[in-house]
Amino acid sequence: MPKSDLYAGIGLMVFGLITLFVLIPTQTSDGGDASISPALLPQICAVCITGLAVLLTMQAAGKLKRGKAAGQAVPTAEWISSVAVIAAVGVAVLLFKYVNPAVAAGLLILGLMLYMGERRIYFLVGIPASLLIGAWLLFYKVLGTAIG
Amino acid sequence: MIDELYSVAGSAFAIGNLAWILFGVTLGYLVGALPGLGKGTATAVAIPLTFYLEPLSAIAFLVGISKGSTAGSAVSAILLNTPGEPSSTPTAMAGYPLARAGKAQKALKMGLFASVLGDLFSTVVLILVAQELAEYALGIGPVELTAILAFSMVFIAGLSGRSMIKGLIAGLFGILVSCMGLEIETGSPRLTFGLIELYDGLPLIPVAIGMLALSEMMIQIGQRQRLSDEADLLKGSANPEDQIVTLADWKNCIRPIVRGSLIGTVVGILPGLGASVGSFLSYGAERRASGRGADFEESGAIEGVAAAESADNAVVPASLVPLFAIGIPGSVIAAILIGAFTIQGITPGPLLFLENKDLILGVYVSMLAASVMLLFIGYFGQNMFARIVRISPALIMPIVVFLCCIGAYLQGGGTFGIGVMIVFGIIGFFSKKYDFSFVTFLIGFVIGPSFELSLRQSLGLVTDLPELLDHPVAIVFAVLAVIGVWRLTVLQRKQMAEMAKAETN
Repeated sequence: MPKSDLYAGIGLMVFGLITLFVLIPTQTSDGGDASISPALLPQICAVCITGLAVLLTMQAAGKLKRGKAAGQAVPTAEWISSVAVIAAVGVAVLLFKYVNPAVAAGLLILGLMLYMGERRIYFLVGIPASLLIGAWLLFYKVLGTAIG
Repeated sequence: MIDELYSVAGSAFAIGNLAWILFGVTLGYLVGALPGLGKGTATAVAIPLTFYLEPLSAIAFLVGISKGSTAGSAVSAILLNTPGEPSSTPTAMAGYPLARAGKAQKALKMGLFASVLGDLFSTVVLILVAQELAEYALGIGPVELTAILAFSMVFIAGLSGRSMIKGLIAGLFGILVSCMGLEIETGSPRLTFGLIELYDGLPLIPVAIGMLALSEMMIQIGQRQRLSDEADLLKGSANPEDQIVTLADWKNCIRPIVRGSLIGTVVGILPGLGASVGSFLSYGAERRASGRGADFEESGAIEGVAAAESADNAVVPASLVPLFAIGIPGSVIAAILIGAFTIQGITPGPLLFLENKDLILGVYVSMLAASVMLLFIGYFGQNMFARIVRISPALIMPIVVFLCCIGAYLQGGGTFGIGVMIVFGIIGFFSKKYDFSFVTFLIGFVIGPSFELSLRQSLGLVTDLPELLDHPVAIVFAVLAVIGVWRLTVLQRKQMAEMAKAETN
């Protein structure tokens, strides 16, 4: 998959340069009297990542030039599902913060079940309910801790 | 050693501990049997359950889960041709044709016996080798440790994926991410973006859950249609011999099991190789030895199931050798176990045998007990697990996502942990799809702080290059790291060329 390698290489190169010239200088102190700068290891990592990303980009570009196939790394269905999962968890976090933990957890499970094509009402009700009761028993009663 | 193990048998065989091992093995077997779920997901998601357990029960429970899920993944591989994880692919290749020929019970039973034997052999090797190796490791100074860690990273980067460049990037990214938090020497914030939650660094468990479990769910949910479709119709058989493992089967399988156990153990001890390499190597060796060629996959081969399963299961205990002896996690399971040890206030490494010897001995006894339980649970629960593999992914995946959130919330300081999990879920998704080894990332993330500490100490000790000559072990490992980059790159290029040639043909 030389094409996706090319994109990954360019992306990592940009990431490495931003880390090196923006993130590390602004997010790391000079270390004062420290014998070795706190920025040393992050800088080593960022330099190496950038250098390796350049190599990866050149390698991928060379393969593309030689006419090697450029396959799709992520099928459309997986793009959609990954956005759906992240959105479901994100909404659940918001519900958790501003509404109620039980509502957040229940809707997270129910939403994903519906998204995956489950339509049987006894499962749609039974699984979220039993999981919530199970989690409540485990954390509040058995382990003695709390959520929310 | 036997006396020492005997001395801790009381605590290891306490009812509470045995109950947690039994629960771990059963839960692991159940999760492993479900299509699309592997031992990494099972162990990462189960970590929250260990927060309030005694250290021995916590570690034994997680080891039980990893053992159970490794063995359980053979069930979906044989019955549905859907390996729970890549290391079960050879099992599916040799076992699914047997299941279609009405010999599912025979293949499942032999798979279980081979799993237990491989696992048991590897556990014994762990018990015999780790402590001896730790005694040598105690004499290692910071300069040597820096070189060993650098060598390990190169080795893992080169062997855990198809590209050395991508492997090294993943490992370096893991080390870079581990730099977030208060700096060791000055205590000043580094790469924290003003977030107080980041002062202690990124929490391992939400990172691991995101990289392993959430990213896997994102991929699997996208493939749900394929998972549902693969619930193929299996034929039954009227011949009772097709349901059991006969003496003739044992005669055919004992050699592949011994070979597979040896291969799996060696592969497990070497950091970064992973269970897939072990099971494919063992399967390939048996396929060549049988001389059956393509018929091995067309008609199925019980010897192939035995070879793959014994090696796959031998990798897990053996991968704990570098963790216990040197503190280097050689596999995903070992990296997750570091998180569990840290929760319990214990640092894996050579000092473990001095400071927490009873705990380690207890873990050994628990691992042996887990092997025996694996046999009983797998054997008597076979029919139940065979039914469970047919449960719709639409019921399983949402539950796993829910458990991911609970784990990240508990160990990541609330909703911040869920946020970390989401970010690393996305990174994990791309790393899996673009073939950047997430194993190397996680190992880089875990060894990052020790690498920085030993690097700083080394720079203080070695101020001139000639002073390096006082550290011959470090020189050897540094040279090995350079040779490793060169040789592994050449090897990978050859493999890629062969794969391209095979695809063209």
